[in-house]
Amino acid sequence: MDLTPVDRVSGRDLGGGGGLLDRTLPDPIKFVLNWGRRYSLWVFNFGLACCAIEFIATSMSRHDFIRLGVIPFAHGPRQADLMVVSGTVTDKMAPAVRRLYEQMPEPKYVISFGACSNCGGPYWDSYCVTKGVDQLIPVDVYVPGCPPRPEALLQGILRLQDKIAGEPVSLRGGARGRAGQAAALTAALVRPPATGEGRP
Amino acid sequence: MTPAQVADRLAQAIRSALEHAGGRSAEIASGVDDGRDWCSAVVDVPSPAWRPAARLARDDPDLDLSYFDWLSGVDEQDGGFGVVAHLWSVRHRHGALLRTTVPRDEPRLASLVPVFAGAAWHERETFEMFGVIFDGHPRLEPLLLPDGFTGHPLRKDFVLASRVAKEWPGAKEPGESHTGATRRRMRPPGVPEDWPRDA
Repeated sequence: MDLTPVDRVSGRDLGGGGGLLDRTLPDPIKFVLNWGRRYSLWVFNFGLACCAIEFIATSMSRHDFIRLGVIPFAHGPRQADLMVVSGTVTDKMAPAVRRLYEQMPEPKYVISFGACSNCGGPYWDSYCVTKGVDQLIPVDVYVPGCPPRPEALLQGILRLQDKIAGEPVSLRGGARGRAGQAAALTAALVRPPATGEGRP
Repeated sequence: MTPAQVADRLAQAIRSALEHAGGRSAEIASGVDDGRDWCSAVVDVPSPAWRPAARLARDDPDLDLSYFDWLSGVDEQDGGFGVVAHLWSVRHRHGALLRTTVPRDEPRLASLVPVFAGAAWHERETFEMFGVIFDGHPRLEPLLLPDGFTGHPLRKDFVLASRVAKEWPGAKEPGESHTGATRRRMRPPGVPEDWPRDA
């Protein structure tokens, strides 16, 4: 699971400092802002393999992650706060994963669900499988397992919410300053294969 | 018909057609595979007879192998590449494996697309995975691999370079993670001797 050091007393991420807003806002306001963020995570399921079934099970009534404030499902990446990459990421799929991540608005979080998206899993030596989705996008929480049980995802969500609670506050949300990505949002679509002649 | 009868019948049809055309027929072997109660008819044909054999199997009224199931390749190393097609008769509920071999230095074979249009994607996959070139295919280009991929990954001599770049991330022996003892590092299987250990 996630091992980012968080100072529980001040509630600040020890890894990086906050901006002006973080230094000037009173602590109760910051608490309320992060409290709102952590309990309304619209989730976007990047389901690629069998792990997606476990993810769907987690969203259903028995495990029901909506009680933790994770709302299934965002209509698309542009409405989502949290992306759960569940399944085997292949090199051919990698550009799509990256592109949909870029389309999510800040603040955005990623949970890597299962051995395949953590590190390649059983396909670690394959010619076509990406060795972990963290080679493409920053990952906040890794959930181990093959596939992990729904309880493991619930635990991963709790760890993510702990992390959000400790984030420095800014108007734009997330702690990652990630400027200069507008070009990725307006990049041309992937050209589809030619149709018509020659297609049997 | 039993699988053995299907194989005999198909081999006989191909043999007579080849003799009629003045070709050699001795290379056609037929039989069943070792699947016991679920065995399948197997017919081995020389590679020039590949497309005529598929057409005969499709058009013979008793065989009626008109459903193309799948086509794939086998890397036999020194024996070249095997190409296997599975045909099925929906009406009679019997099937047959049609096999051939192409040489490793020039893996060319006639495409089955004029006989079974559904073979197109199977042949494209066999082309990219094994490097077998199907003559007469309307659009022989990679189907599944990412753009710019070089090599034929299902050939036995294709080295899985990630085995060198990244060791198996898990523990290799029971209890290894508790004791901290690690096994002697070995060259990963399939990686050539002269490759550096830590690339």
